[in-house]
Amino acid sequence: MRIEYTDVLVVGGGLAGLRTAVGAARRGLRVEVLSLVPAKRSHSVAAQGGMQASLGNAFKGMGDNEDVHFGDTVRGSDWGCDQLVARMFAHMAPKAVRELAAWGVPWNRVQRGAHEVVINGERVTLTERDEAHGLITARDFGGTRKWRTCYTADGTGHTMLYALGDRTVAEGVPVRDRSEAMALIHDDGRCQGAVVRDLESGELYAILAAATVIATGGFGRIWGISTNALINEGMGAAIALETGVARLANMEAVQFHPTAIVPAGILVTEGCRGDGGLLRDADGHRFMPDYEPEKAELASRDVVSRRMAEHMRRGKGVKSAVGEHLWLDITVLGAAHIDRKLREVKDICRHFLGIDPAREWIPVRPTQHYSMGGIRTDHRGESRSLRGLFAVGEAACWDLHGFNRLGGNSLAETVVAGMLVGEYVADFVESQAGALEFSPGLAREFVGRERAALESIAARPAPAPGGDSAASLRREMEATMTEHVGLFRNESGLRSAVARLADLQARARRIGIASRHLDANPELVAAYRLPRMLALALCAAQGALERRESRGAHAREDYPARNDRDWLRRTLAWWPTGGATPVLEYEPITVENMELPPGFRGYGTRNIVEHPATALREAEVEAIRARLEGEGRARLQAALLDFRGCLPERYRGDNDRLADIEEGAQR
Amino acid sequence: MSRRLKISVFRHNPRDPQSVPRLVDYELDEQPGMTLFIALNAIRDTQAPDLNFDFVCRAGVCGACAMVVDGRPGLACRTLTNTLPDAFSLYPLPVFRLVADLSVDTGRWMRELAERLQTWVHLEAEPELDRLEARMEPALAEGVYELDRCIECGCCIAACATAQMREGFVGAVGLNKIARFRLDPADTRADADFYELIGSDEGIFGCMSLLACNDLCPKELPLQTQLAWLRRKMAGQGIRWLRRR
Amino acid sequence: MLQSLTGLALALFMWLHMGFVSAILISEDVAWAVARFFEGYFFLPRPQAWLVSSFVAVISLLFALHALLALRKFPADWRQYRIAATHGSRLRHGDTVLWFVQVATGFAMFFLAPVHLYAMFMHPDLIGPYASADRVWTGGFWPLYLALLFAVEVHGSVGLYRLAVKWGWFEGGDARASRRRLKIAMWGLIAFLLTLGLTTLMAEIRMGVEHAPRAGERYVPTWQRGVTAAEEAR
Ligand SMILES: Cc1cc2nc3c(=O)[nH]c(=O)nc-3n(C[C@H](O)[C@H](O)[C@H](O)COP(=O)(O)OP(=O)(O)OC[C@H]3O[C@@H](n4cnc5c(N)ncnc54)[C@H](O)[C@@H]3O)c2cc1C
Ligand code: HEM
Ligand code: HEM
Ligand code: SF4
Ligand code: F3S
Ligand code: FES
Repeated sequence: MRIEYTDVLVVGGGLAGLRTAVGAARRGLRVEVLSLVPAKRSHSVAAQGGMQASLGNAFKGMGDNEDVHFGDTVRGSDWGCDQLVARMFAHMAPKAVRELAAWGVPWNRVQRGAHEVVINGERVTLTERDEAHGLITARDFGGTRKWRTCYTADGTGHTMLYALGDRTVAEGVPVRDRSEAMALIHDDGRCQGAVVRDLESGELYAILAAATVIATGGFGRIWGISTNALINEGMGAAIALETGVARLANMEAVQFHPTAIVPAGILVTEGCRGDGGLLRDADGHRFMPDYEPEKAELASRDVVSRRMAEHMRRGKGVKSAVGEHLWLDITVLGAAHIDRKLREVKDICRHFLGIDPAREWIPVRPTQHYSMGGIRTDHRGESRSLRGLFAVGEAACWDLHGFNRLGGNSLAETVVAGMLVGEYVADFVESQAGALEFSPGLAREFVGRERAALESIAARPAPAPGGDSAASLRREMEATMTEHVGLFRNESGLRSAVARLADLQARARRIGIASRHLDANPELVAAYRLPRMLALALCAAQGALERRESRGAHAREDYPARNDRDWLRRTLAWWPTGGATPVLEYEPITVENMELPPGFRGYGTRNIVEHPATALREAEVEAIRARLEGEGRARLQAALLDFRGCLPERYRGDNDRLADIEEGAQR
Repeated sequence: MSRRLKISVFRHNPRDPQSVPRLVDYELDEQPGMTLFIALNAIRDTQAPDLNFDFVCRAGVCGACAMVVDGRPGLACRTLTNTLPDAFSLYPLPVFRLVADLSVDTGRWMRELAERLQTWVHLEAEPELDRLEARMEPALAEGVYELDRCIECGCCIAACATAQMREGFVGAVGLNKIARFRLDPADTRADADFYELIGSDEGIFGCMSLLACNDLCPKELPLQTQLAWLRRKMAGQGIRWLRRR
Repeated sequence: MLQSLTGLALALFMWLHMGFVSAILISEDVAWAVARFFEGYFFLPRPQAWLVSSFVAVISLLFALHALLALRKFPADWRQYRIAATHGSRLRHGDTVLWFVQVATGFAMFFLAPVHLYAMFMHPDLIGPYASADRVWTGGFWPLYLALLFAVEVHGSVGLYRLAVKWGWFEGGDARASRRRLKIAMWGLIAFLLTLGLTTLMAEIRMGVEHAPRAGERYVPTWQRGVTAAEEAR
């Protein structure tokens, strides 16, 4: 049996995984990257709209800075995020964009002079400053106070992933594609690597590593219709859960994106609305201002999605053969804009809908999109319960996003977290704590276990016609999730979902396959992944059932209030070995050290059960503000929440901005 | 109204000594709006559970699903069956190593290409992350993006008779990448460096201007223009090189 | 690159060639004059047939060089040929087919043209209205010329089109549109050259048939006829 050794094993070749790998490799460590598919095909490639970073170059971004970005992120999260992490993140995002610019991402740039844009349905002329000409520009996205989303047309994820993929080659970091991490090898609370399956030959082997990093992306595919790639089945989170040691957090926090096309569920970017696109109903009426007069189409994603669903419930949806939907109208932007800035959208409309979006409206409806939850880590990206296990990107609950992530913050998270965790992982491996006596015996035991599991699947009787198969059970899981663990949730629906999923889980463990070979075999893959997907589904459904409040994307019809008093805490899920259901625990989100104490997000009517500590902390913050008035925003910020000490030294510097440079020059 | 489709699918498992390459026919009722992604999954669900094929994004952006559809390479996920005849064939992409059935190993091929052509920005110095980014003309940035849109699907390789006949030919995908980095102002390499990489019959001078790459690239990259442009630049570089000798 | 240069030179030469060969269509005198021109008749004291021979040699060299370079592009063995052929037939792609046409016509010329060139090299003096016509008909060259004509005009025109797209000439702002125009130009050129060539060949054949009884007789330009008659009379 093959056993390999390395310093850092990165599971996942998306943006988060590659940036982490490059970081660790630059520190001189041996790094191996695993991916189900060639790295550049990872789901990050599909991200369209852009990545947030407070550069403040564009006219509509002037006055932006880390503080504003931080505030938007915290509000967006409905105060569910970790504010230390949000601070580190807002500080790092400009550095990440600038690094990527140097590595070849051709960010769209500021063009000096007047140009026409569409804002709130009207054509407006903006004049970009001369001195900003040629710097990185930004577009508007939902839930942000400034235009902050840096982009390359609507292929941002593509250009980012390709720049990073190329950098990975430049640094000589090997990537093994068609390789799946099947289990984490661990002992006594210490992760030691992973069992790997070569998806082509079927070979099972072990890679033992001083540090293992999970960067496997989201798990959207447990819903039937999702904007996610087909490989986003959450296997990274699932194998972490299977350790019985690592914790998953906030698995019920799931984002539904307002505009996926119907019926294929393919996303058209928020950039469509950011650039001025409108939502219309069956009568062609622009309905969002009726609900959200101020932000309209550019309210936070969870809000827009719910408003759309509400509007359809009122009978204003467009009934069609492929299901009910609403319209996204970008005809107002004009063909020239669409050809330059929204060409992927145009391609998607042309190939999958047969329409030209410059002339026709796009049928859309809210669709599962993003997993805020994932493997719970500390601010360094390390699991709190399984040492040597790190997680980064969408697979992690680093907790930047809380209960709703802002558009453009996820791409930013992948690279920012990658930059940071790459350093932390290297620190860990170089430190005393990272020292590891590799144990080949343990590796053999884990590989043996996986092999036995696969062989038993192949030994079971083939599915009878009409009987349970991976495909049929999977369809039931998807239907259950879509029906009961969707945009709106309630007690009875969630209860039946949990029961149904548990039943499916039991049945899934008994299914066999018709094709018995153990090499490249999609039937086998489906059979071994299904129970793992069901485990994640159970965590999400059970978490949603227990969380009796509404926060961000988690909307309980029977508990519409955000309840800070009882629920300002993270759901932690773990799976006892041999158990039938996950066990839930809770981790408090402390108000006492918040830079931005819980408040009202500004959508709909205020409906909050206050946390007792909120008022106190508010007063404290006010006092600090008063005391430090005029001392500059850096001093004030440090007094409210000191984050710089948590950053790797090389990343602690202030970010230059055009505005500051000009101010400096004037002084 | 609904047609019955007959899809002849190439099947072979190169690791199984008993397996012989063959075409297997599958029949299926066409649905409105059916893509090959839907059709192949339907076949897998009901008729051929271990049929191998690759889809990742199923939205035409990741490049995983390229195959030879009715004789021509293309992205299966965004090919509507109503653009095809009642009976047609599906083959894996040629040139690339066969994994099984319709699945080929493009990953390693592209990685080797990247290593060979050094397709990354060659920087002069480490970027200073705290400083303002280097300025770039907006039009130039858009120009680089235009060439950066390649999804490494391999269609241009499969479509190119040269690439099929001559192992080692870097193909339009490789040449386009060189054009992309040549355009990028951050890349410090000069024409002489690029000439080292592609000034040969495995590079630009191997291309015979068959233009199938240009015509079948699913991202509609301007390959014809780029190849002609590189040929001129590299020919100029070649002459300069000769003169210096 | 050398391939392109030699191809271009040959293609341009073939236009010229078409020009002087089809001079026969204007009148026999013009044809005679053209032929003699190349022997230096009008500027040298005596016509020098070896001038033509060496010109033929130069063209032949070009031709050989071009063919040699082209050979590298040919499918090198049966396997490659098979790949290319099945690929081409499945792909249904116009420009790839055009390339096959070039290979096929080039391949044909590889055998046909040397015969012609050899004849021109050995008998440069036997160029002229009657001599040519006799070669075409009585000498039985016409099937060769017919085949060669199709091959060379198609090959040359397609070659020029491919040269243009290869090097990006005449591309302008819109590559797609310019390529469509170039292709139209290519078909136009083929049609024009073939018509001209066929008419010429027909004329040669007609003359050859008429002249067959007196085959071998040399043509004397009309304006010299009087002189010769007078000389003979003396
Ligand atoms: C359609 C769409 C558009 C989006 N647009 C935007 C946007 O405009 N802005 C924004 O900020 N965010 C956007 N997002 C979100 C963002 O793209 C993702 O959250 C982010 O790219 C995730 O990156 P990642 O590196 O964490 O994971 P991924 O890119 O999903 O990579 C996961 C990697 O893990 C590998 N993997 C998975 N399981 C295993 C296993 N068991 N073993 C080995 N390898 C494994 C995969 O092969 C893959 O390489 C969008 C998301 C979608 C779905
Ligand atoms: C033995 C005779 C010949 C052979 C075997 C031959 C073969 C070829 C081949 C295979 C090509 C394609 C090369 C490529 O795509 O890179 C080519 C190109 C070309 N040939 Fe010929 N050829 C012959 C004679 C001629 C003649 C007589 C002419 C003049 C009319 C000519 C004109 C051209 C032109 C203009 C090109 C295009 C050049 C290019 O693509 O770079 N060829 N030839
Ligand atoms: C310098 C070299 C050449 C000379 C001097 C030359 C000369 C001639 C002459 C005099 C004729 C008239 C018929 C005859 O007298 O037999 C002729 C016809 C012809 N030649 Fe050439 N030739 C040359 C090169 C070529 C080449 C390279 C090709 C093609 C590969 C070619 C193809 C033809 C064809 C097809 C005809 C018949 C044309 C017609 O009748 O329409 N020639 N050539
Ligand atoms: S150039 Fe076009 S066809 Fe070739 S790999 Fe890139 S996207 Fe695919
Ligand atoms: S098809 Fe091939 S020969 Fe050149 S123009 Fe395209 S690479
Ligand atoms: S599956 Fe991604 S391009 Fe087809």
